[in-house]
Amino acid sequence: MTNFGKAIIASVVVSFAAPAWADEHVSLEGKTIGVAVVGTQHFWDREAFNGATSTIEELGGTVVPVDGGRDNQVHADNHDILLNNEVDAVISILGDGAVEPKFEALKGAGIPVFTVDHPSPHAVNNTTSDNYYMGTTIGRYMADAIGGEGKVAVFNAFEGALRICGIRTGLWKYVLQDYPGIEIIQPELAEEFANAPENARIQTLDLLSQYPEGELDAIHVGCWDQPAIGVVQALEEAGRTDVLVTALDGGPDTLEIMAEDGSPFVANVAQQPNLIGSTAAMNVARHFAGETLLPQTYVEVVPVNGQAEAKAAYEQLGYGTLE
Amino acid sequence: MQAEAQGRRIVLEIFGFLPVIIFVAVLIYISFNAPNFLTLRNLELVLMQSLPVVLVCAGLAAVVMAGGDDVVSGGIDLSIPATAVLAAGITAQMLSLGYPLALCAAVAFAASMIVGGLNAVLVTRIQMTPLLTTLAMFVAVVGVNNVVTASRRINVDHPWITVLRAQEVGGVPLGILVVALLVAVIFFALHQTRWGLNLQAVGGSRDAAEISGLNVNRFIAQSFILAAFSGFVCGFFILARGSGSSPGVEDNLMLEMVLATFLGAAFSPRRVVTMWGAILGAILVAAISIGFKSMGVNVFWTGLIKGSLIVLVVAFSAISQRVR
Repeated sequence: MTNFGKAIIASVVVSFAAPAWADEHVSLEGKTIGVAVVGTQHFWDREAFNGATSTIEELGGTVVPVDGGRDNQVHADNHDILLNNEVDAVISILGDGAVEPKFEALKGAGIPVFTVDHPSPHAVNNTTSDNYYMGTTIGRYMADAIGGEGKVAVFNAFEGALRICGIRTGLWKYVLQDYPGIEIIQPELAEEFANAPENARIQTLDLLSQYPEGELDAIHVGCWDQPAIGVVQALEEAGRTDVLVTALDGGPDTLEIMAEDGSPFVANVAQQPNLIGSTAAMNVARHFAGETLLPQTYVEVVPVNGQAEAKAAYEQLGYGTLE
Repeated sequence: MQAEAQGRRIVLEIFGFLPVIIFVAVLIYISFNAPNFLTLRNLELVLMQSLPVVLVCAGLAAVVMAGGDDVVSGGIDLSIPATAVLAAGITAQMLSLGYPLALCAAVAFAASMIVGGLNAVLVTRIQMTPLLTTLAMFVAVVGVNNVVTASRRINVDHPWITVLRAQEVGGVPLGILVVALLVAVIFFALHQTRWGLNLQAVGGSRDAAEISGLNVNRFIAQSFILAAFSGFVCGFFILARGSGSSPGVEDNLMLEMVLATFLGAAFSPRRVVTMWGAILGAILVAAISIGFKSMGVNVFWTGLIKGSLIVLVVAFSAISQRVR
């Protein structure tokens, strides 16, 4: 493990041992907070949601939860319900451009909006991972893994639609500019938002028949890693060992895949969704306590390069132990 | 003996009303437990959120009325939500490339009519089952839309589309007025015109309609065109609601369309699919899901609660029909 990685993990451990709010005297007593999440099927979404709701309750607040069922439109519409409920504040987790007019309406009604992974001019604050670091790190790791040259396919449905994905994929591409031997296969692939693993599996099988052994070096998922689960399945089904996989998010499901012997899934950057959700809830409390918040709050990430680091990150992030 | 028969009939009548009674009971329960549920603003919210479903339900109801309401062998059009997202996708993509809205709408309209026309030809000429035809069409049309939009989200902020969401006329959102007007026109056409009555006759009994000289296939074909038109209009409401086209909207829309339309049949006295039943179904499903969310019901349970409620209502409806 790199020293830098160790330093990051160490800082994470410290932040776990002593939660940021342990010495703060903020409270959400008597407040009703709406928590809108785009879906609860995936680990990341669910954990961010759980982190936000449990922290609101720990701080004495009441939660009105709404779930978009992994449908961006339903997620956006759910904000109308929170508006009608006259909640005191809203935490909105993910979502695409469809939520913007809803944020504007909430703001207009005097209800402050706090976002997670969705910077918006109508929000008080956005809590997110250090997406800049994620994008460049995964670019370097991937380039190293394939020896600095080769053909790479990328799943990139959201670069233009979600700012966080624009940062992550944009900076991945920025790093690759310094590797003239690496070619990104065009057109780029677009994964489905709902049902991503299965959709990516099918698209990867098609891709593999188009690019036979020796003509493809890596498949990267630009903004998250649920599709990578399907990519790895497809590689195993097709018996291909010449293609490496890289992606971002690093939940327990994908860290487990990375920790397997001979796994093609070689690099990731793990986020802390529960801490992100929890931090967003803390920010709501700080806001009500009269503190001025910065527009963005960044939560540490854990770079994961290879099998050994996957096992270490799994343990450090509190998911258990992998043999 | 007579008293017993009468008693039995009263029980049956009550049984027949159970679907309505269950829904009313749930709504009353919600209104006591959810803040601001019984307000005009919430009613507006329920209506606004159900508009796309109401539109596609009106289209589906026309197809079911013309084809008969047997779910497997009768009339059904599962492709309407796909037509709607295609119309939205084409419009969004062309707008983003700088074409004028009228041209975008014309192309979207043409594409929708092609879908409706293909459904009509496959069902009436090649005699394919509507259920399978339109399911396949759903998959194919969503595929076309994925090509058109490259499976990506496209933002739309054209003022003519935003008015459907934001503009109010006399305190009522324009979107609600437009849909109400369209639904009224479709209702008038289906129930008050000779064409509509003939179309219903075709769905009621195909053989009888043929004997009396009606061109059965023509009416069925026209119902598919009408359905595609409802999908086309719905596309603009999808764009307005989401300020753009997001991939994946079709799945939920299809589920809600089918649920609302056949749930609506449980509310009708003769247990048949009607346009009003379908629209009422769409609005009630929206009201109940908004209600549960307002109550702060655990998100991990809402799907189960909603699904169970619908099964319960449809089961009571089926039992009461069988007993009769």
